[in-house]
Amino acid sequence: MFDHGQPSYAEVNKDILSVMLETGPRYWMLLGTTMSVAVIFFFMPWFYQLIVGVGAAGMSRNAYWGTYLSNFIFWIGLSHSGTLLSAILHITNSPWRKSVYRSAEAMTLFSLMTAALFVMVHLGRVWFVHWSFPIPNQMGLWPNFRSPLMFDVMAITTYLTASSIFIYMGSVPDFAAVRDASTGTRRRLYTIFSFGWRGTAREWHTLGWAYTFFAVFVIPLAVSVHSIVSWDFALSIVPGLHHTIFAPYFVCGAIYSGTAGIVTVMYCLRKFLNFERYIGQVHLDNLGKLLLALSLIWSYINMLELFSSWYGGSSFELEALKFKLTGFYAPLYWEMILFCAFVPLLMFFRKFRWSWNKMLLISILINIGMLTERFIIVATSQPRKFLPNAFGFYFPSWIEISITIGSFAIFATMFLIFIKWVPAISIYEVKETLKPLRRDA
Amino acid sequence: MQFIGAGSLGVAGGVLYGESVQKDVELLIPQVVPPEDYSPGVASWYNTVCNQCSAGCGISVRIREGKAKKIEGNPVHPVSQGRLCARGQAGLNVLYNPDRIRSPLQNATSRESGSFTEISWDEALTTIGSRIGRLRIEGNASRVRLLTGSTRGGLDELFAQFMSLLGSDHYQQYDFTDPGALRAANRIAFGMDQLPHYDIKHADYLLSFGADYLATWLSPVHYSLAYGHLRQGRDGQRGRTVQIEPRMSLSGAAADEWIAARPGTEGLLALGLAHELLRAGSYTGSDRDEWASALQPYSPAMVAAETDVSVDTIVRIAREFAESTASLAIAGGATAAGTNAVASVVAVNALNYLAGNLNQPGGIFFNPDPAFSAAAGSRQVGMQGMLDLAEAMEAGDVEVLIVHDSNPVHALPENVRFRQAMENVPLVVALSSFHDETTDMADLILPTNTYLESWGDDVPDPGVGFPVASISQPVVAPLYDTLPVGDIVLALARRIGGELPIRMPWGTMEEFIKARWRDEYDGRTAGLEGQDFDAFWQASLEAGVWGQPGIVAGDPSMPSSAAMIAALANPVSEFAGDESDYPFVLHPYLTATFLDGRGANLPWLQELPDPMTSVVYGSWAELNPATAEDLGIREGDVLEVETPAGSVSVPALIFPALRPGVVAMPIGQGHTAYGRYARNRGANPMDLVSMQIDDRSGDLAWAATRARVRNTGERLQIIKTDGVTRTLGRQILGPKNDHA
Amino acid sequence: MKWGNDLSTFVEKFRQYLKPGYYDEFDYHWTMTIDLDRCTGCEACVVACQAENNLPIVGEKRYAQNREIKWIRIERYWEGEYPDVKMGFIPMLCQHCDAAPCEIACPVFATYHNQDGLNTQIYNRCIGTRTCAVYCPYEVRYFNWFTYTWDEPLEQQLNPDVTVREKGVMEKCTFCIQRIRLAKDNAKDDDRRRVRDGEVVPACVQSCPTEAMAFGDSNDPEAKVSKMMKNPRGYTVLEELNTTPSIVYLKKAHAES
Repeated sequence: MFDHGQPSYAEVNKDILSVMLETGPRYWMLLGTTMSVAVIFFFMPWFYQLIVGVGAAGMSRNAYWGTYLSNFIFWIGLSHSGTLLSAILHITNSPWRKSVYRSAEAMTLFSLMTAALFVMVHLGRVWFVHWSFPIPNQMGLWPNFRSPLMFDVMAITTYLTASSIFIYMGSVPDFAAVRDASTGTRRRLYTIFSFGWRGTAREWHTLGWAYTFFAVFVIPLAVSVHSIVSWDFALSIVPGLHHTIFAPYFVCGAIYSGTAGIVTVMYCLRKFLNFERYIGQVHLDNLGKLLLALSLIWSYINMLELFSSWYGGSSFELEALKFKLTGFYAPLYWEMILFCAFVPLLMFFRKFRWSWNKMLLISILINIGMLTERFIIVATSQPRKFLPNAFGFYFPSWIEISITIGSFAIFATMFLIFIKWVPAISIYEVKETLKPLRRDA
Repeated sequence: MQFIGAGSLGVAGGVLYGESVQKDVELLIPQVVPPEDYSPGVASWYNTVCNQCSAGCGISVRIREGKAKKIEGNPVHPVSQGRLCARGQAGLNVLYNPDRIRSPLQNATSRESGSFTEISWDEALTTIGSRIGRLRIEGNASRVRLLTGSTRGGLDELFAQFMSLLGSDHYQQYDFTDPGALRAANRIAFGMDQLPHYDIKHADYLLSFGADYLATWLSPVHYSLAYGHLRQGRDGQRGRTVQIEPRMSLSGAAADEWIAARPGTEGLLALGLAHELLRAGSYTGSDRDEWASALQPYSPAMVAAETDVSVDTIVRIAREFAESTASLAIAGGATAAGTNAVASVVAVNALNYLAGNLNQPGGIFFNPDPAFSAAAGSRQVGMQGMLDLAEAMEAGDVEVLIVHDSNPVHALPENVRFRQAMENVPLVVALSSFHDETTDMADLILPTNTYLESWGDDVPDPGVGFPVASISQPVVAPLYDTLPVGDIVLALARRIGGELPIRMPWGTMEEFIKARWRDEYDGRTAGLEGQDFDAFWQASLEAGVWGQPGIVAGDPSMPSSAAMIAALANPVSEFAGDESDYPFVLHPYLTATFLDGRGANLPWLQELPDPMTSVVYGSWAELNPATAEDLGIREGDVLEVETPAGSVSVPALIFPALRPGVVAMPIGQGHTAYGRYARNRGANPMDLVSMQIDDRSGDLAWAATRARVRNTGERLQIIKTDGVTRTLGRQILGPKNDHA
Repeated sequence: MKWGNDLSTFVEKFRQYLKPGYYDEFDYHWTMTIDLDRCTGCEACVVACQAENNLPIVGEKRYAQNREIKWIRIERYWEGEYPDVKMGFIPMLCQHCDAAPCEIACPVFATYHNQDGLNTQIYNRCIGTRTCAVYCPYEVRYFNWFTYTWDEPLEQQLNPDVTVREKGVMEKCTFCIQRIRLAKDNAKDDDRRRVRDGEVVPACVQSCPTEAMAFGDSNDPEAKVSKMMKNPRGYTVLEELNTTPSIVYLKKAHAES
């Protein structure tokens, strides 16, 4: 379980808390960088777009949805592994989950927030976004509950709320540990955060069942969220989007990209926060196997999608298929197939599964592939709808590309702030995995 | 305000976001005292006449709060019958064009500079009036020249009177779209100056030689209405149309059959059809033998070889044409713009004659005498006069040139050197609403009211088979410090002095028009009993039109076969340029949107996809797909199109319905002036047209130039709305199983 | 709060909907027929629409980006190759589908079906998700990517009966709802229960130089459209999608030879 020998309880506390308590200049530089990138690449272009209109992006009559929406799906997808994985592994009692799940859940939260930002960026009149919530208003008008976008609003807010509660609940004992290890303002703050956690048996018991309850609750939720996101597309009748396979396809893709994201984040935590002792070979190996399984499912569904398009034989579907496979964006499509279907096959070999560097590379490639996948969905289907005379083309503008880059910086910023406020590895659950110390040892 | 601004800097940042959302402040019009000339919120409609082409459609303009909002066809006008084409509806862009000239202008420095300074009306009119007055006194009135577009009705008469009273017989009209060859051929065949009434509406079989009657030929709205009726207006009877032209026009697209005969041989094809018609024995007139001998050389085999139309097709079409109860052949477009234009149109007329289509429903009707007698004075129409004018200007024989509603610098081939000739004229006066290429060469610009702000009247030509006259009235108050053209002419007459103000006593155009209509009223009695002039005038003004449907042309003098037969010769157009040097035939064509270019300054028309290609904003050169493939040319490759007359660079467009060996270019773009929407956009094919004239009509043979194309290797995006123009087997244009 | 009241009104309304014959009380089902045998593709309707409905002049650059707004457009389809090549035109505008794919898409009810069978768009309500446009199989919804302005004094032409739209709003053909309203008002002023056939004429129909288009109430069996719809050449575009459009096209007839 531990690559570098088993730490003691005190060492666990010290190792994990030191990340929060000690901050070097490198951190501030990094945070400064990500924040400036976020401002320059994301918020400034967005502000410009607010002033001139969504026309600043590359969308047109041929594709009313563009990179913003594909990024939205990507980030929702990335959010999928964290909470879902954590919950599933919690229920199935997999001990290797314990040093991974906190960061994974944080990823969920932050990806969801980034995704929500993309909805804002996408909207034509974001200043009226509140109209999509069922708020009683002077117009006496409710949102349209038949709209898949309305489902989205519901699903995402629910998921965001549930994930937040889930991660917070699991962190309460750790907040108490921070409280105990700190002084001054921080101590007062964490006293509030920890809800006066004292560590009594009753408290542990309550946390235990509540946490398990939530884990059970979150799993269907997570599955439903991406299913619902997929219905944004599947409920349309646009060729290339109107597939019944879309819900499982999206869910699977989401978990897939999320798991790959976890590998990337794990690598960074281990590398930069010195968590080598807690995140070890076993985690990597397990995640690798999971990724491999997911990649096979993903490839299968992908083939199914192509097959049903072809087998359906309608001119509409065939044309959309042809455009996807051989059109302008065909290189991107085949890049996606390479990265998401073939590269992960390397993980059949232990050599790859056991190497942090190789796994990092694979995980990043998978996410590039998944980012492309989402882009291809919006960019190849809409310009090839029903009336050939209205066929066209979509290419993202610089604003869209910049905002896409900026979104990664926003995610990184949130994550960097997170590691200073919440123990990035669950202290108490890591301790649970330690072998009981004998007096004679 | 300042203290608020300084004090709330922080707030400003917060508000900025909201500001970006709602920038435009909407102002309510305070109307404590209600306006007298309209009721707020209630639309009124005024009838007047469209001036966007020469068809003379009646229009109704919707006015709200004193502003023109929409133009629709005048439902009671016999030409437009409530309908209107794209150009006519875009007339609002003429009225509210941001590039209108808003006050009299004087050339500031040189003509090339294009910079003008504002002057007063009085100063401008006095300058011109005194100069012309001096010339008149000196007896040099012929050094004053007037050039207008296809001006008709009261304004034409006013111009003619003005010039004849002045003592100059140089009143020249030039309109690129004027059907000069058609007029000349009709004169030969039927002895008529007026255009006849082509009864497309009741035809069964319409054979069109290059005439794009649905978009640009003579009276497109009227013919479109007729076309609708021809197709589906009669129960169980659907008229057929056949279009003969090298490049499919809108009418070609609508036709049942499109035949791309070799360019310039359309007249020959008509003769071939006539030959076959005669041979089949359907013509039984007394002059049958004369015709037979005249048409002897044009056997289907010979014609097929020359025109590249198969013998079978010729025989079949001749048979169909003869067998149809109401067949009609018309000619226009490139067919009437070769060096053999008149001969071609005469051949088409002969076809109508031989098939017995004259004075038959669905054939050709002659119009009765127009409502207004021909205007006094003389005028020249057509290209020959323009050449004479250019020559006179070049020679320094012209001292004052007055230009109105005509843009020869843009519309004439480069080698007429009209612009250079204008340099020699000491005083060029432009009566214009826009800074077009010719106006920019003027020393003095007198800004005119647009047709929506002017009085006038009009007799549509071609007519509709009975006497019709329309009144145009101002529908809105003038927007700027401009005057109606008629008022300018009258004001000039007063300033020139002498006989002019006495013989032209009217204060304004309105008075003149009313006087003219009073004369007309006094001269007629039939149908006007019990109606005094005021009632007649009021009714005509409200309707926008007056007509007498009962009256038809008297027994027409039967056309002279001899004259027609004599004019049949020379049926093949001669092209400028050697075929080995210039392998392509240049086919310029009028577009439905800009016509000859006058519509190019209207944003709605610039943004209107070209009906056949969907291109907006710009011009292009069309090539047949096979030709383009051979030359390795793709859409958007910039081609250098070169002719003996010049060359232009223009992006290529692959056009499926174009005869190989033809390069087609739309007319209308390529302005170097004419406002923000037109300037520096595309190329002007007139720069490529060699100066050739059909001697018999004196008109420009603009479709008789050869060209070569070269791929420059550059690329230019052609902006068009079309994606894929094939249905890909999808049943968009209707289910495959044919019900009809 | 009067939740209770709201609920009872809702229940009451719902019961009404269930009553047989309830929908018959809605008098109109506005329908258009377009005879492709008459249509010449001249685009007079396109300009008529632009004038009537305050469509913006987007400019060359934005046209090049496919950001034009044309509530009615002409689609062109070639058939065959030279010399046996044919061109088919079809005016494409909002089909006002009875089962409109766009209507389920909007999360804020900016687009909905009104009682006259029109698919309406409420500009003020729109937040610009653009879902409706993605869902629309006829691609006749147009988005205001920018706030378009008119070069002074072109704005004087703007029709005061029609809203000028701002950036971020979806728009589309309304069947000239302002003219429908006017006709209904006039009918009411004249104490007529119904609008007469031919009293409502959308701008495109009005302008059509070949009289290819007809407009009216297909609930009225005597209306011109009702008769046109019975023509054996009639069909609806993309029938297989089962959107049940309110526009019936009459297929181009072919010459018998």
